[in-house]
Amino acid sequence: MDASIKDFEAAIAELETIVKKLEDGDATLEQSLALYERGVQLSRFCHSRLEEAERRIEILTERGELRPAPASLAGDEPERR
Amino acid sequence: MAPSLFDLPFEDDPEPVLEPEPAPPLPTASPSSPAVPTTDGSAPRARSLAPSESQPPTAAGDSRTTPARTVLTVTAITVQIRDRLERDFFEVWVEGELSNCRLWNGHLYLTLKDDRSQLRGFMFRSSLRYLRFKPVDGLRVIARGKVSVYEAKGDYQLQCDHLEPQGLGALQLAFEQLKKRLHAEGLFSAERKRPLPALPRKIAIVTSLDGAAIRDIINVLGRRHHNAHIVIRPSRVQGEGAGAEVAHAIRAVSRVPGVDVVIVARGGGSIEDLWAFNEESVARAIAHSPVPVISGVGHESDFTIADFVADLRAPTPSAAAEMVVTAKEEFRGRIDRLADRARAALRSRVQRRSQRVHVLTARSALSGVPGRVAMRGRHASELSHTLTRGIRQRLASAERRLVLLRRQLDTFDLGRRLASIRTRMVAADGRLDAAMIKRQHHAHLQWRDHIARLEALSPLAVLGRGYAVAWNAERTRVLRDARDVAPGDRVRVTLAQGELECDVRDQKA
Repeated sequence: MDASIKDFEAAIAELETIVKKLEDGDATLEQSLALYERGVQLSRFCHSRLEEAERRIEILTERGELRPAPASLAGDEPERR
Repeated sequence: MAPSLFDLPFEDDPEPVLEPEPAPPLPTASPSSPAVPTTDGSAPRARSLAPSESQPPTAAGDSRTTPARTVLTVTAITVQIRDRLERDFFEVWVEGELSNCRLWNGHLYLTLKDDRSQLRGFMFRSSLRYLRFKPVDGLRVIARGKVSVYEAKGDYQLQCDHLEPQGLGALQLAFEQLKKRLHAEGLFSAERKRPLPALPRKIAIVTSLDGAAIRDIINVLGRRHHNAHIVIRPSRVQGEGAGAEVAHAIRAVSRVPGVDVVIVARGGGSIEDLWAFNEESVARAIAHSPVPVISGVGHESDFTIADFVADLRAPTPSAAAEMVVTAKEEFRGRIDRLADRARAALRSRVQRRSQRVHVLTARSALSGVPGRVAMRGRHASELSHTLTRGIRQRLASAERRLVLLRRQLDTFDLGRRLASIRTRMVAADGRLDAAMIKRQHHAHLQWRDHIARLEALSPLAVLGRGYAVAWNAERTRVLRDARDVAPGDRVRVTLAQGELECDVRDQKA
């Protein structure tokens, strides 16, 4: 993901700032364009963060290894990928 | 004189007299037993004074008329007393208040007292180990044990093998003691509590794989956060050693890369069942966890030490899962507010109002149009005007959206979006309950809404209405003054669709 975006919460905060600036309507055309492009970028970032993680259940074993959980644990779920 | 002195402690003990039966099984245990005569009432006294080893079998008869002077060594009598006491007070329960408690080489030395008497006692390290509470002065207890004699000092003592506090149960007392200590250490203080991550990347769970708790948590997470990444560290949650296992599991799983919150859970049970979560090792592991810990142990009314140390206490395992994803919903609330503000900004901008109406009209699809038509139906001329204008503008709006969508698709991972849509269709297939479908759908709409509003705010959107943006050749600066370029320069012009590269032929400043 974009290196200029720290994390989910930071992205939302920045998005808020951008919407506020756009609301103010003081920005020049260049600035507005830049703000808008950044806003779309942030919005996509958030969107993909919400959707990106796949549903996954793992077991951390005694030996410190991660293994997929047995189907009996994850089996009766409403959604699977 | 001697007989009466030694008589005293034993006269209280009618056992050998009234019940001849117990005597036979005991002979080997007590050297005095074989001497018990069966014929006359004075036998017990004779027995105590004249052990068989120092008196011939005929002694009973003699002692009646002329008491023989029997001289015992201190050790001999002490051994007799010891044997006697140990036999007769083999297992007794004594109630009293603890005092003079002190540890020596891991053994506990204590005095039991009531308002008139004292009884010294001790408890071996091996028995002490099983006590869940700490014996302290002033505590009222019931002790179980046997009386024994410390021959070197001629002391008799109660050798306790078990202590239980009176009033509070042992576990309850241990709980209070640990709670008090950790509280004094500041482990429960509000400043220590860390906030949960807004959108956890990996959610760790420490619990047993056999219990209902793990299924409850997975179900809740699955429903409310369908793409959650869960890392489970299985641990026994009850029985000897479970506390240490839970503590170890917390330490291990909280250090897995990406894990940013830990749920420690166990279903309901008695105080004994939940005991692992009242152990100090668990409390310490929670306190030292590098990421926030949520405890979800037992039922609503159960409080464990783990609950007090945890960054957040959930009343049940399911509630713990809900708390993890509540943060996500809170976040969605923020997006809503953001969208609301964008909407308000749009309203205030007159020149963008019509655009927005059509974005909304387009979005509400077919169902929105009849309503709008009906509302305006009173004025026929206005109606036809509106429709004509509406259609024209909607076409423009659709075109504009198409352009933007194309731009977005260039950079968007189409496959993922399709997968996401497919997932939602599976959900709509009836495998989620209706409320869930609604919530997810709603959240999705809010996202689209939000993006649509950003689009509407875009200066690029006006291009759809025929405006164009002129740039310098490098496309780094927008031109707003003809004097910024000279004839022969190259400029770029962005249109609603595509871009032109133009050479400047003339300049009229």
